[in-house]
Amino acid sequence: MNYNVISYLIYGCVSVYIIYWVGKLFHRNGRIFILRLFRNNESMTDTTNNLLLLAYYLFNIGYSILQFSFWERVTGIETMIASISMKTGILIMILAITHYFNISLIYLLSKRNYQSITSKT
Amino acid sequence: MKDLIVLAYSIYLPIAILLTFYVANSLFKNSIVYMKDIFNGREDIAKATNTLFKIGFYLMNLGFALFILKITNTITTAQATIEALSIKVGGFSIYLGAMLFFNMYLFFRGKRVAKQKRTDVQTANLNLEKE
Repeated sequence: MNYNVISYLIYGCVSVYIIYWVGKLFHRNGRIFILRLFRNNESMTDTTNNLLLLAYYLFNIGYSILQFSFWERVTGIETMIASISMKTGILIMILAITHYFNISLIYLLSKRNYQSITSKT
Repeated sequence: MKDLIVLAYSIYLPIAILLTFYVANSLFKNSIVYMKDIFNGREDIAKATNTLFKIGFYLMNLGFALFILKITNTITTAQATIEALSIKVGGFSIYLGAMLFFNMYLFFRGKRVAKQKRTDVQTANLNLEKE
């Protein structure tokens, strides 16, 4: 087992765990916004939320597995740490940018809807 | 010589992670006040938005911290290690400060928009009463 395989193992575990955990948090906290967009239709909200979570997992885990074939040659511990942290950093930053994009999307959609997200009831 | 780079990484990573956690904690403990103001005291949606912004903050900063970790020049002495670390840690903490101000700007903007909307509704109601 060379250094490349070890770094694939570490990177795979870390990225899948991060994606799973962040997805769970988004799933829980984003429900209320979807509920508002669907005008308090509970069953529609839950199915949409679950489907969105599934699509999120597919896209991100697919991306992280795809990274294995673009890995540089790892020669020692220090290149291993550097390459793992750089790949994980890019993945996390992609997650963050998508997340901010989604927040602004929710804001714009709720503005277009008949009632605003900042108004009462 | 390679041990020094690993040592520098193992000093840099805890500093960056702890700094991120400290800043995020102190920012989002206080921001719940703005959120309650923006969403008119509706507890559930204010809390959800606060958590979402918190996750975004963590992701953005930890991602950047990991992204800039790699030290490209060779390190041979303790002096070179400290100098390489100073660039990383100092740059990262300036970046954190910029992100903190960006988040505060978002909160204040949201507050202003919500206030504007509320005064619009009030003036509309007053006009209705007059008619």
